[in-house]
Amino acid sequence: MASEVNVHVRSMRRAAVVAALGLLVQLGGSFYWTPLTFIASAAIGLPLVGIGALLFLRAAFRIMKERGAL
Amino acid sequence: MLPTLIILALLAGLAILALLFFGIEPLSQSRWGRISLLIGIVAVPLLVSGGSLSTGFHQSSRTSFCLSCHEMQRYGMSLFADNRAALSAVHYQNRFVDRDSTCYSCHADYAMFGDVKAKMNGLRHVWVHYFGKVPEKISLYQPYAAANCLHCHEDARRFVEAPPHQPILGSLYDGTTGCFASGCHNVAHDMKAVDEHRLWQAK
Repeated sequence: MASEVNVHVRSMRRAAVVAALGLLVQLGGSFYWTPLTFIASAAIGLPLVGIGALLFLRAAFRIMKERGAL
Repeated sequence: MLPTLIILALLAGLAILALLFFGIEPLSQSRWGRISLLIGIVAVPLLVSGGSLSTGFHQSSRTSFCLSCHEMQRYGMSLFADNRAALSAVHYQNRFVDRDSTCYSCHADYAMFGDVKAKMNGLRHVWVHYFGKVPEKISLYQPYAAANCLHCHEDARRFVEAPPHQPILGSLYDGTTGCFASGCHNVAHDMKAVDEHRLWQAK
């Protein structure tokens, strides 16, 4: 049980890191908008945040499934 | 000018993520903790990203954004051409368009999907800039639509009452006569003036 919790905590941490990377990319672009930084922000930063959200939701879904909440 | 608000929002989003990163284990034990994780890791970053994208779209309509590519810099200089017949120069120098979004004011269609079309064309430009071959002479993808001129000039007194316009107003309005195509206003960017450094000096 404890190791399962750790697995989920790790997944959520990974989700937080990926989302943070996405925000960092967008933050970098926000200081100087050029075509390149705009594309990086929209095509790399935004999808990373989306992936982070999906990773978190997947971990939450698994926790709920294990606890019989679904 | 820096988009301060979105920078602060991104920093706040990052700070929240950093806090949650170290607090995931205790927070995941309680219901409210899990809700705060959902908000901090999913809702806040998505919301801030939406704001960032919207800011990006706004910034990409700015004159400085367009002129950040070296291919466009001569066209930027043409805004200062000392030629009262050059449309871009006249509009810029007399503040007929917002100087901060000069390029976009004239090069975006005012039709329903005009903004989307302009952004898609912008992406195409970026692709050519980085991966393609920039043509020697830069030209529009299609003839300039008179509807874009009429978006501002349509019922302007100076436009309607101009003697050369009066006999052709109908055809100008229905699009059969174009401002450029008619040959009356056929200098959009005076590149010759740029090459010869005949430029207007703003005080």
